[in-house]
Amino acid sequence: MIEVTHLSKSYGSIAAVRDLSFTVERGDVVGFLGPNGAGKSTTLRILAGFLGMTSGTVCIAGHDVALERKQALSRLGYMPEACPLYPELKVGEYLRFRAELKGVPRRARQAEVGRVLELARVDDYAEVVIGHLSKGYRQRVGIADALLGSPPLLILDEPTAGLDPNQIREVRALVRSLGGKHTVLVSTHILTEVELACTRAIVIDRGRLVAEGSIDEIRRAGGRGRVALTVRGSESEVRRVCEARSEHVVECEAIAASGTARLVVAAPEEELAEHTEELVRALTVAGLGVREVVPAMATLEQVFAELTRDAAVAREAPKRAEPERP
Amino acid sequence: MTGFFAIWKREVFSYFVTPLAWVTTTAFLVLQGLHFYLIVASFAGQLDLSADAGPVQTFFGQTVMLYLPLLFVCPVLTMRSFAEERRSGTIEPLLTAPVGTVSVVLAKYLAVLATYVAMWAPTVGYMLVLGRYGELDWNVVAAGYAAVLAVGAGYLAIGTMTSAMTKSQLAAAIASAMAIMGLFMLGLGEFIFAEGPLRDVASHVSVWTQMNDFARGIVDSRRLVFDASVVVLPLFITVRAVESWRLE
Ligand SMILES: Nc1ncnc2c1ncn2[C@@H]1O[C@H](COP(=O)(O)OP(=O)(O)O)[C@@H](O)[C@H]1O
Ligand SMILES: [Mg+2]
Repeated sequence: MIEVTHLSKSYGSIAAVRDLSFTVERGDVVGFLGPNGAGKSTTLRILAGFLGMTSGTVCIAGHDVALERKQALSRLGYMPEACPLYPELKVGEYLRFRAELKGVPRRARQAEVGRVLELARVDDYAEVVIGHLSKGYRQRVGIADALLGSPPLLILDEPTAGLDPNQIREVRALVRSLGGKHTVLVSTHILTEVELACTRAIVIDRGRLVAEGSIDEIRRAGGRGRVALTVRGSESEVRRVCEARSEHVVECEAIAASGTARLVVAAPEEELAEHTEELVRALTVAGLGVREVVPAMATLEQVFAELTRDAAVAREAPKRAEPERP
Repeated sequence: MTGFFAIWKREVFSYFVTPLAWVTTTAFLVLQGLHFYLIVASFAGQLDLSADAGPVQTFFGQTVMLYLPLLFVCPVLTMRSFAEERRSGTIEPLLTAPVGTVSVVLAKYLAVLATYVAMWAPTVGYMLVLGRYGELDWNVVAAGYAAVLAVGAGYLAIGTMTSAMTKSQLAAAIASAMAIMGLFMLGLGEFIFAEGPLRDVASHVSVWTQMNDFARGIVDSRRLVFDASVVVLPLFITVRAVESWRLE
């Protein structure tokens, strides 16, 4: 559905996207992830035909965006970042305008607007002036707009940015529900979002591809296995033992109620057993009781931090030789 | 041309929901009404109204009262066109809809042109009043309006162009007002320069002379060719500017 090959984009001397290649298959709901400034919006704007690329090619449903612009654009529904709308129009008026613009035939227009109003759950607001809507509702109008004409591909740029938790949950559910009928590419800098709404993810950092695959593949992409330990003993004692091994003990939190602490060891798979054994020995020698040792799953947050860390370390190298781990 | 009519309708609608539009239109009509009243009052004593110097001729020609409003009205009409859409970001959904750049530019331009025509429409009432109380040469009236349309069409095209050059409505308005002013001044060169090519050029582009000629029913096609080029060239530049945003 989307084929991006060797895509680069510079704003003057700033390289926002560098040699990016990825594909999105029909029917996938793909999260497009990256920290702020990673180049997500730039990439999506190029996919949607709003910006030209410096080099590389983008194909939407088999049509090159640069060469067959209209064919490519008529197959995608795009919601830009921050979802800009005309404040003076009513929701219904706006969507009828957009439907006409997208070539929905006159006779089908009213029904189509009704359909997307309902899908995006803004049917009660058709007669409300857009300028009076809350951010959450404006975002939904943007999604309704993207759905007009039922394009096979939807590209949504940060549809949950700036919303409150309830709205985020609703928009996320909406995105997930679109998965059956559309291919969806949705950008975000929030990881849980991808876990909850997407089947696959593409991770970029500073314009470069960092990881691509199913959520499980991404999780493993960090390349570090994890083991969680439950330890009985005073918090200060546990911390003292852990601090000496801060490179591998990535988490250490006291659970006050039970007088225990939870530790997480993270290391490359082949060294994990060795480090775990060493830590257990150190804890035992210190008179602390190891109650439980279980394999742990990295959260996407952690993987993301690890995936984007190398770049960050490189960037900050002159200031700080050894990055601190939390 | 898909989407052309949709954009045109929205542009006209959006213009008339802004208070600035009503203020401008009202001020324009009040000024023109006053202008007309003064002319009629000054002609009231005269019995012999020749074809060369009647109230209609004075309304369209031989007065700066016609250009002053144009100088303000045209920049105000056009300043929003692209600048506001770029400032607010709505240009992004607009240009990612499957519509061509030429459609977008023409729809926006023809929307301001239609608004401009709508602003002048009530002044036809003055002509009807004149027609009731005296001899009125409708050919002269038609030529006068043709000149108003031809000159305004060029000014609006210039305004559309400057609106595509900046994200600030104010900057767009100032830039187009200055360009229009410059064009007007260039025409005044007709009265300043000595006989020669410079003066020929100046008289060719002179809006002042054009209005005077048209107001006397003299429609020179060379004038219209010049007016058309003042429409086409800025619009061509606008199309190129809109396309270049994608590459910036
Ligand atoms: N119009 C622009 N002009 C210059 N630099 C830009 C422009 N838009 C984005 N950038 C820069 O490009 C980089 C990527 O931006 P963006 O694509 O918006 O990232 P994201 O959406 O992932 O936060 C940033 O460093 C940003 O400052
Ligand atoms: Mg962004």
